[in-house]
Amino acid sequence: MKKYLQLAKITFEEYLVYRLNFYLWRFRSFIVFLTLLFFWLAIYGDRTEFLGYQKAQMITYVIGIAFLRTIVLGSRSADLGPQIRSGELTKLLLKPIKTIHFWFTRDVVDKGLNLFFTIIEILAIVWLLKLSFYLPYHLTTYFSFAVLSLMAIFLYFFLSFTLSVVAFWTEEIWATRWLFGVIFLEFLAGAFFPLDVLPSWLTKIIYLTPFPYLVFFPMKIWLEQLNSGEIIMAIFICLIWLIFFWWLAVFLWRKGAKNYGAYGG
Amino acid sequence: MLMVVKLIKIWLMFTSRAAQSALLTTWAGVLFIIGKIVRFLLFFVFLFVVLSTVKNLAGYNREQVIFFFLVFTLIDALVQFFFRGVYHFRPLIVSGDYDLDLMKPLPSFFRPIFGYSDILDFVTLIPLWFYFLWFVFTNHLFAGIGDLILFFLLLGNSIVLGFAFHLFVCGVCVLTTEIDHLIWIYRDLTSMARFPTDIYYKFIQYILTFTIPVVILFTVPAKALLGLLSWQWVVLAFLISGLFLWGSFKFWHYALSRYSSASS
Repeated sequence: MKKYLQLAKITFEEYLVYRLNFYLWRFRSFIVFLTLLFFWLAIYGDRTEFLGYQKAQMITYVIGIAFLRTIVLGSRSADLGPQIRSGELTKLLLKPIKTIHFWFTRDVVDKGLNLFFTIIEILAIVWLLKLSFYLPYHLTTYFSFAVLSLMAIFLYFFLSFTLSVVAFWTEEIWATRWLFGVIFLEFLAGAFFPLDVLPSWLTKIIYLTPFPYLVFFPMKIWLEQLNSGEIIMAIFICLIWLIFFWWLAVFLWRKGAKNYGAYGG
Repeated sequence: MLMVVKLIKIWLMFTSRAAQSALLTTWAGVLFIIGKIVRFLLFFVFLFVVLSTVKNLAGYNREQVIFFFLVFTLIDALVQFFFRGVYHFRPLIVSGDYDLDLMKPLPSFFRPIFGYSDILDFVTLIPLWFYFLWFVFTNHLFAGIGDLILFFLLLGNSIVLGFAFHLFVCGVCVLTTEIDHLIWIYRDLTSMARFPTDIYYKFIQYILTFTIPVVILFTVPAKALLGLLSWQWVVLAFLISGLFLWGSFKFWHYALSRYSSASS
């Protein structure tokens, strides 16, 4: 445990060294948040309800996207792919440290640091624009949201790890990650808009993928738009995806590590 | 004139090499094209569904909003196609290999900006243009031949503005070796023009007109074709592009004078 705490400290210090990178990254996240927010504010105008969402609920959804992007989709494990291709992974393999734990520790630091700034940015915008924010009425909602969000963090970690491990077999790591880890992920997770505004035949297809459990379903729980049966079902399906990707990530890692040629290392 | 023809020939050679490199691994090319199509379709469906319910956005009807989205996609793909080279510039600066380009009888900005035109963007541009023209004519969004000419002039103006911004970013890269985040900030800011920029608060519209002129890049050409553009905006668009181009060249030359070729 001590070595992972030390690793977390080093990762944190790395951010302090490359401060400009971090500030620019925060600026980017802020722009994405503002774009979505202003789009929906324009759509609502004087309306109070649209496509099944009250104005406060939609604003909350957009704020929730910014929050969940940080704690669920924020990740450093994407760096593993290039390390495998460059042979840099060898340095890590020689250390008495588990690779999955190594990347998860770095992920946690990334999420924590970004979360701090995200909360400040969100509070500033909510205060400046005097936005109304939807707070759930029931305590169980907070609990269910926390449970599903926590599972989503692990689900995304194993999903991202799986995409990175593909680098053992192919050089096309960026193309694969871009398609599955950016385009599919952001749209199908509901990180741009609530999925249920799309035609129902399309949402039914999207619900079959693991992505909606990362952002969309946690937000539906927060907005209290799911009944208890639907919440349990969402948590159960998320658990199945989580177990599947955990197994897949470990399986592919073990296979790949045997295959590893340390090119360029 | 002779110089321009020579540069076009060199650009075609660069582009041919870049295309060979991009198509070397077909699988990656296929994945990128699938991604671009999926992103376009999902945004399209989303806008269609939302605008079918809301009927109008900032005074524009559904077809007009989709038209703005199509113009955004077209210009974005054009700019990416021409200036993708900037994504490859940082390694040249960090390694010092940019020295080799400076020794060639080419404008100093040529390789960084035009050295890696993206064939995959070009592939997506062809069907996109066909669909755009079909959409414009079937929905009667075409106001007249004068507006069409103005649209193409402003499209050219947008490409000049895109060039100016990418040149500025390359200048920053020479000075700081930072480029990726700046380019992505540009991409994020420009993505605000997926929708008509009139939907944003006035102060944001000012920022999007005078700082990173997203409005000039995307909204102004779209409004020209719809016949909604006043002459003052046309003058302002060319003026801002001219100013940005001038400023970017000045900054680029300043950055070059500070280039230390550190790693070579």
